[in-house]
Amino acid sequence: MIWFLTIALPLLAAIITAFIPAGRRGSGLFFVSATLPAIWLGLVDESGVTAQWFLLESHFSLDTPRRILLLLTGILWATSALFAGSYLKDDARRGEFSFYFGAAMAGNFGLLVSAEAASFYTFFALMTFASYGLVIHSRTPFARRAARIYLVMAIIGELFLITALYLAVKSAGSMLLADIPPALAEDPNGPIIFFLGLIGFGVKVGAIPLYFWLPLAHPAAPAPASAVLSGAMIKAGLVGWMHFAPVGLVEWTSLSFLMVSLGFTAALGAAIIGLTQVDPKTNLAYSSISQMGVMTVILGIGLYGGIPGGLILPALALYAYNHGTAKALLFLGTALPARVGGFWRILMWAGLGTGVLAIAGGPLTGGLWTKYLLKTFLGETSLPGAQTFLILLTLSAITTTLLLSRFLHLLHRIEAPSENAVPAFILPWILLLLAGGWWTLSPALLPTGLMNHITKENGIMVFFWNRFTNWSALWPITVGIVVMAFTLRFATLNLWPAKKPLLPPGDFLHIILLAGDLFAKLLRKGISLLESGLHSVQGPEQIFYRVTDNKRTSQISDSAETTLRRWEFVGIGFFIFFLTLLLLL
Amino acid sequence: METTSILPLLILGSSFIPGTLILLLREDQSSQRTFLNIFGAVAKVSLIALVFAGYMRGEDYTFVFSLAPGLNFTLRVDLLGLFFATLSAVLWLITTLYAIGYLEGGRHRRRFFAFFSYCITASTGIALSGDVVTFFIFYEFLTLSTYPLVVHLGTDKAVNAGRTYLWYTIGGGTILFLGVVGLSVIAGPIHFGQTEIIASLISENATQLAILFFLMLAGLAVKAAIFPLHSWLPISMVAPAPVSALLHAVAVVKAGAFGIIRLVYDVYGIETAGYMNLLTPLAVFAAFTIIYGSVRALFQDDFKRRLAFSTVSQLSYIALGVAITGVLSSTGAIVHLVHQGIMKITMFFAAGIVAETYGFYKISEMNGIGRRMPLTMGAFAIAVFGMIGLPPVAGFISKWYLGLGAIETGSYWVVLVLLGSSALNAAYFLPIIYRAWFCEPVQELVPRRRSGRLETQALMLIPVVVTGLLSLAAGVFAAVAGSPLSIAREIAERLYLL
Repeated sequence: MIWFLTIALPLLAAIITAFIPAGRRGSGLFFVSATLPAIWLGLVDESGVTAQWFLLESHFSLDTPRRILLLLTGILWATSALFAGSYLKDDARRGEFSFYFGAAMAGNFGLLVSAEAASFYTFFALMTFASYGLVIHSRTPFARRAARIYLVMAIIGELFLITALYLAVKSAGSMLLADIPPALAEDPNGPIIFFLGLIGFGVKVGAIPLYFWLPLAHPAAPAPASAVLSGAMIKAGLVGWMHFAPVGLVEWTSLSFLMVSLGFTAALGAAIIGLTQVDPKTNLAYSSISQMGVMTVILGIGLYGGIPGGLILPALALYAYNHGTAKALLFLGTALPARVGGFWRILMWAGLGTGVLAIAGGPLTGGLWTKYLLKTFLGETSLPGAQTFLILLTLSAITTTLLLSRFLHLLHRIEAPSENAVPAFILPWILLLLAGGWWTLSPALLPTGLMNHITKENGIMVFFWNRFTNWSALWPITVGIVVMAFTLRFATLNLWPAKKPLLPPGDFLHIILLAGDLFAKLLRKGISLLESGLHSVQGPEQIFYRVTDNKRTSQISDSAETTLRRWEFVGIGFFIFFLTLLLLL
Repeated sequence: METTSILPLLILGSSFIPGTLILLLREDQSSQRTFLNIFGAVAKVSLIALVFAGYMRGEDYTFVFSLAPGLNFTLRVDLLGLFFATLSAVLWLITTLYAIGYLEGGRHRRRFFAFFSYCITASTGIALSGDVVTFFIFYEFLTLSTYPLVVHLGTDKAVNAGRTYLWYTIGGGTILFLGVVGLSVIAGPIHFGQTEIIASLISENATQLAILFFLMLAGLAVKAAIFPLHSWLPISMVAPAPVSALLHAVAVVKAGAFGIIRLVYDVYGIETAGYMNLLTPLAVFAAFTIIYGSVRALFQDDFKRRLAFSTVSQLSYIALGVAITGVLSSTGAIVHLVHQGIMKITMFFAAGIVAETYGFYKISEMNGIGRRMPLTMGAFAIAVFGMIGLPPVAGFISKWYLGLGAIETGSYWVVLVLLGSSALNAAYFLPIIYRAWFCEPVQELVPRRRSGRLETQALMLIPVVVTGLLSLAAGVFAAVAGSPLSIAREIAERLYLL
């Protein structure tokens, strides 16, 4: 029942809040209640169920990594819904917003609890297409363009995804997602199938080179929608990868290297491109690409083998939890500076600072711990070059800090309200702050196996207070902050763009679009040539008109028609027809 | 020994008799006409339900009437036939309601509804035919009974379209006739399902049988709108919306597709056809049609024309599924018979409603229409997602089975065709959704031509909502016993186990 409610309640809430005026007023509360089953499933280990009536027989169950992600997803949707209820109170299209919001929420929960290919794909698609409505919400030309690019990329992703699913289901001989990784490990075509899945889900994850829609679409949506897009929905792609990846079962050297290098390219490159932006939300979107790059690295290591999936996948989910909560906090935070004044501003800056530190892996944050998990696996893997990767990871901490302190600076430029104002939506924001990455240390989320593996007998708090780990986390961040502070302080060094981004958001998308324009022009020319050709040679469809438009034929058929159209004579026609039939046989 | 039952004949009579009675009524006796229509449609659905239940209990319903020595008129009930007959009957009932609303106050309604009934009689006749000759009789009956519907409006355009329609279908019928006669000469009377007759002849008459196969296939391909014999379909969309809806969903095009299924599965047999290499050309033509139809649809601005080209494309899914050997692809093909029907009828209903209520015929006029008619365009959106193959709508189930079936036999190129078609479907359908829901209307106030408290006349609105929900339910509840998928799977499994 609870599995069913997890999906049904958001859909119900979508309908109530979109079409019923009373529901519209209490949309925040309706949506929060709709997330409760998901949060419950994220906290309590329930046994799975089979729904024989749904699609092609669906199964719903959870494993540890997906349970962690479900909890994250539930929290983010709940807080964002509360936030949206107050933030979009006077929005003319809030009913529509609620509809797409609820549908995307149902899809997001559904894909996490699905343990079988058809329902997983169903909910993945539901989420993808429903969030189109969130991206286009403001109806500005910018949002329309972002939504269009989002949709095109989403469809390309879906096509790769369905191919990968066809092949994987055929290879596994079963619709259960849990059967896919072992089957791919055995199948000689396994790497190819995984690669297709890598592309299909890579669109959602924002993996290089499929990321360019993301810096356009995530910022285009209203703040609460951006928060769930960048905090929760982006992780759906990660879940998809986890369903396909035979972590610990195979040694796919080239795929492993591919993922690690793409991951690091994203981790460092996206942060650097993000620095050239002037919109705080675009800045954050690039940070998401960068952080998803780090997660790509972890999964890539898993494909090299040696480390069991039972350790890597929960660690990955914990990393996602920390990133998701912090990223949503920052995205929601972009709505605050213009509305929060006086004393509350201190709280706001403290919260935003915590979020930034958590993403950068600062001392005494959940980010420190989740990044430490990754470092442990980098230390353990036999993947060649792991030492370089450790350096790259430290470097990424510096670039992330640079990127996010730049984000804080961009927020700082927003003018504060004069009076001691505080909007109602600061409450869900504070709740989200409390639900942050520290929880990744708690036994509710952390599987014992993973904890024992990482901390040995020392216990987790000893690690957390450890001076060395905190110091090694502190210095890259300090470097980042100091560099940013210096460049901002001294005018000669302050080369940061102030009004226009150095690179347009979506960077190399513009090269694609240019090439696409050229191609479209050629195509159009080709088609017009073809069309004129068709007219001159009387193409397949035209040939028939030549016969039918011929005067004589039309005369004959006209007279036939007048007879036929007088339906009274149809009976005679049939009589003759049957007579001929009888005579012929 | 065959038992004779009058029930199949009654099923045909349930539309034929009301049709004839309607002809005897005066034009202005509209309430009597409506009564006859609805009575016939309900009777047909009930009778088919009765037969279905009996068939599931293991009863046999056969009606044989000797036309001449060695030439029987045979109606026989089997699962595939019942499947198609159910689709026809249910959609006829829904379309009748729609047509009553659509044609309110129109001219020549007597003629319209009479031939509408005849058309569905032919369609059920095709479904229940027990042998090749009976099938052919109803196939031709269908051609003639749809012609007055195509030319219903009586405009030059309609008459021209009707002419083209006749040229194509009569031509196709003639070719089919040659094939049927040839087959009867070589193999004698063939009941559907007696695949062993052809199988025993292939050693001696291989060439003749192959030629006859392609003759009959060509005859059927005209109605199934397989390239290059599809041109009549986009032209005959000048017919009123309920006709287009029925034409594109059940009656004419499905008769062709159903005929192809019968020809391959129940006349030649899938093994024989595969052994004689007859299916590869069919697969190639079907695949090409899928892409060709979609590409043509991209460039149409006329709403119904775009839908028509989409039909051309979607129908060939059935032919493609038939051409690939395997339980999965056969299931996909058979289930698409129903799925395409309910999705496409929803689309044509919606197109008709938009045209009748606001006078919008072109896609470029439809900005913001979703706000004005949310239920209509909501149902349309469901159908669009189904056509693209997105879950949980019915079209996804068809595509899932077709795709898995293609991979099972190693025909990876078919998967590429399916993907290409999905992408193209998205490219020509999603802009409609975008305009309807995400663009602001160009004119604030457009006069409404149809009154009513709802967004349009209730009799037109209810059918579109019902078929939209059916498209959704056929996907969401695909695993439930009694769903189109479960029946299609059973038909396919019987084919391969026998």
